[in-house]
Amino acid sequence: MMQSAYEQSPWRSNLFVVWNELVKNMKFLMAYPVIFIFWAIFPIFWFIPFILQGEAFVGGLQSANFAQITGSGEYVPFIVIGAVLNSYVNTLLYGMGESIRREAYQGTLDYVFAAPCNKAYVLIGKALSESVSSTIFAASQLAISTLLFGINLTLGMMLPVFFIVILLILGLYGLSLVLAALSLMYKQSHDVSETIGYIFYVFSPVRYPIESLPSWAQIIGKLIPLTYALIIVRSIMLLGMGLSALYWEILALLIIDAFLILAGFYMFNWMENKTKKSGTISHY
Amino acid sequence: MEKSNKEYRLREVKCPAGFNWVNLKAELRAVWESNVKAWKIDLAYPVSFIRQLISPVVFMLPYLLYGLVLIGGRYSENLKQLVGTGDVVAFIFTGYIMMGFIGTAVWAMGFSMRREQWFGTLEAIYVTPASRLGQVLGMALHSTVHQGAGTIIQFIFIYATFGLALNIGGILPALGIFALMMFALYGFGIVISALSLILKEGWIVSDSFYSIMTILSPVAYPLTVLPTLAQQASAIFPTAPALIGMRSFLIDNYVPEVVGNVFLHLIVLGAVWILFGVFVFHLADKYVRKRGMLKKF
Amino acid sequence: MVYDKKSEVFSIQTINLTKRFAKKKHRGVFGFLRRNQSKNKHEKNNHVTVALNKVNLEIRPGELFGLLGPNGSGKTTMIKCLSTILIPDEGTVTVNGFDVQKETSMVRASLGMVVGGERTLYWKLTARDNLMYFASLYKMQRAHAKKRIEELLETFQLSDRADERLEDYSTGMRQKVAIARALLHDPPILLLDEPTLGLDPNFARQIRSQIKELSEKYGKTVLLTTHYMDEADQLCDRVAFINNGNIVAVDTPNRLKAMVKEKELVEVTVYRPPVDIERHIRSLLPDAEVVKLIPGNEDEGNPSRIKIIGGTAEDVETIIDALRQKNVRIGSLNVGVPTLEDVFIKLTGAKLTEGGMR
Repeated sequence: MMQSAYEQSPWRSNLFVVWNELVKNMKFLMAYPVIFIFWAIFPIFWFIPFILQGEAFVGGLQSANFAQITGSGEYVPFIVIGAVLNSYVNTLLYGMGESIRREAYQGTLDYVFAAPCNKAYVLIGKALSESVSSTIFAASQLAISTLLFGINLTLGMMLPVFFIVILLILGLYGLSLVLAALSLMYKQSHDVSETIGYIFYVFSPVRYPIESLPSWAQIIGKLIPLTYALIIVRSIMLLGMGLSALYWEILALLIIDAFLILAGFYMFNWMENKTKKSGTISHY
Repeated sequence: MEKSNKEYRLREVKCPAGFNWVNLKAELRAVWESNVKAWKIDLAYPVSFIRQLISPVVFMLPYLLYGLVLIGGRYSENLKQLVGTGDVVAFIFTGYIMMGFIGTAVWAMGFSMRREQWFGTLEAIYVTPASRLGQVLGMALHSTVHQGAGTIIQFIFIYATFGLALNIGGILPALGIFALMMFALYGFGIVISALSLILKEGWIVSDSFYSIMTILSPVAYPLTVLPTLAQQASAIFPTAPALIGMRSFLIDNYVPEVVGNVFLHLIVLGAVWILFGVFVFHLADKYVRKRGMLKKF
Repeated sequence: MVYDKKSEVFSIQTINLTKRFAKKKHRGVFGFLRRNQSKNKHEKNNHVTVALNKVNLEIRPGELFGLLGPNGSGKTTMIKCLSTILIPDEGTVTVNGFDVQKETSMVRASLGMVVGGERTLYWKLTARDNLMYFASLYKMQRAHAKKRIEELLETFQLSDRADERLEDYSTGMRQKVAIARALLHDPPILLLDEPTLGLDPNFARQIRSQIKELSEKYGKTVLLTTHYMDEADQLCDRVAFINNGNIVAVDTPNRLKAMVKEKELVEVTVYRPPVDIERHIRSLLPDAEVVKLIPGNEDEGNPSRIKIIGGTAEDVETIIDALRQKNVRIGSLNVGVPTLEDVFIKLTGAKLTEGGMR
């Protein structure tokens, strides 16, 4: 006889929620193969202008000034790495910020909230599906970039890079829980997601080294998890550094991740209770 | 149920139609009201409105900072060899103005029908006698003014932060080129709006064209950096000749990458894109009504 | 209704109106390996639904005409073909004397449309802004539009809140704005597609009385689609039943109800009937035309009903015995008093509140 849902251990039922949410969202994605192919290929077009700009300004594929600041003059892999990691930010921020709004639009939000599970695990499931799809897209974009732009990619780099990507995703999970909490109350979640996306884009070294920003801007940049992820991944891939040499950057990333995750869980639970009292959950 | 035995007749309907001044005035009024409606909806989301005003600065900054870091200063010797001027700030600023107006065509206009579908108002609009194109042109007007405001903010920011040396006497002819470019872009935008109505994932059409046009337009690099085939392809879009023409008037010592009469080029492009756009839109309109694709998004 | 029967003036006329929809078949990733028996390539790859099948309809000026049918019967498709949103595949359609395919602009100027459901207006705009915008799409002059908008806001008692955004309105108030929009340009014809759908009874009553006034006082031709039989019965001069894209019957409500004679209708309300009760009663009344179990929702105080059409009063004892044999609790039993739903069931075998049966 099947065990009643209420007799299962809380961890098991939470994992069950996460798994089902992941499967559901992946099925949605697979139902739109055109979208899938688009995200696997098209973001490359967004950074091609930067590569062409580099060629026009320095007349080659190496920049002496870049080498002075970052240790490597190769601006093409610099741009590619920035674009690929930034795509995680885009999909997780917007995907999570909009996830609740989409449930409201489809009319399923009330039912999700009426369920006895902890809703944060629903969001973790959504975030996990966004991460899986982002990783597939990022891998595809990286593979195409390697072929088109001759980027040096070895198997030995992949494991530490993957580890740092996971750390980045954890931090973004926390941030997206904060955004999901805000979207419960303030229906224009898209604005909040976009504004945060802007901050990441300008203050993180996505297109340029963080050292090229004024000092006040660098302080803001150093509070963003993407900054450390970019510095670490570029150091591994362009300068051949190992994880042990990047101890402080990894520690900073872990601290920011922990803060964002705790803040995310707290805010989301607080907002959920607040919106239930005010009855504004499904008013999108 | 009994009603009085009145003689029932078909009722005469007074509605302007055909090629006459009264009808044209009515259609223009519909375009204007579409524009007003778009502004009112925009202003109902104040955070989004402000964000959209500053987004041209946000997205231009990476081009600027990246360019400055690449060469370690403001002047690029290689750029000077290519186009006669090495001032990367002036080059990028004049190029980046274009990005916002490409967005006018592919997003504001291109997505106008989809947006109405999302609101749930597309069918309500379709049962009115005003032309559907009025919707698209109303969004074009709204977005053009919106982008214009963004461009002014961009200019103020660049002037204050980096200083900007532009040729004041060249502003008027540059504006003339800009007007011709917008005329052609509107035609292109009408094509995109037609395609996004037909295709289920219309945003992919808009995004794809935005990316392609950005690459083919010399926004952050001279046209000569592109492969030959890409340079030839850029001639069918109004942004490339317009940018080159505007730069030649606004930036001292600028040597255009392409020789030819930019005004004539843009007039021809404008006529072609407008006619093609209206034709494709008419076909798309019939297609979606045949297939019943107007229902809510 | 007294009409000149020889008159050939029709506000709305459809001749052999046909509309089909093709939807691509999802055959899965390896679907191409599976054999399909259809010879026709279009049918191989698409589900073809005939939404309207050679529909002939004639609505006279000033008539309040009801189109009654279950979900999926073709009502909305009909409205869309008349309003130029859909292009028919076959047949001709004229509205106010204008062909919907050749004189599209004049057709649009001749009618106002209201659909049920909330999202047909701009919620971030005020009622006044919404109406002004649509007035421009109806090519009204600004001064005239302003005056007309004030009149309509007054008529629908919205003047006090005309400058509030629609997102702050109730559903009923939004529907009033939608009706006001349809009346902006004073069209001779109104198409109302389930206008009371989702409204509470009070608002629905107000809307119905406004619809009646539009037809009787202002002489507008109104085509009303609904699956609420009471609404059609109350309001309409004539009613057409539509099922699976076919017009099954057209006449006045009284004449339609007369098709089901009083003694031929028996209705029993029952509680928790077994699944096979319908079959059981049918086996005991082989001469009955229709035996239909209409499930209810007893938790909401809405018991199930069994309708027997074509039986006689003498069959009542047989029915009661059959129900007792199955230990079914009987709520009430009525003989006679047919409704439009009874006529619909007799003609089609389907309920008005279920999808059309094939």
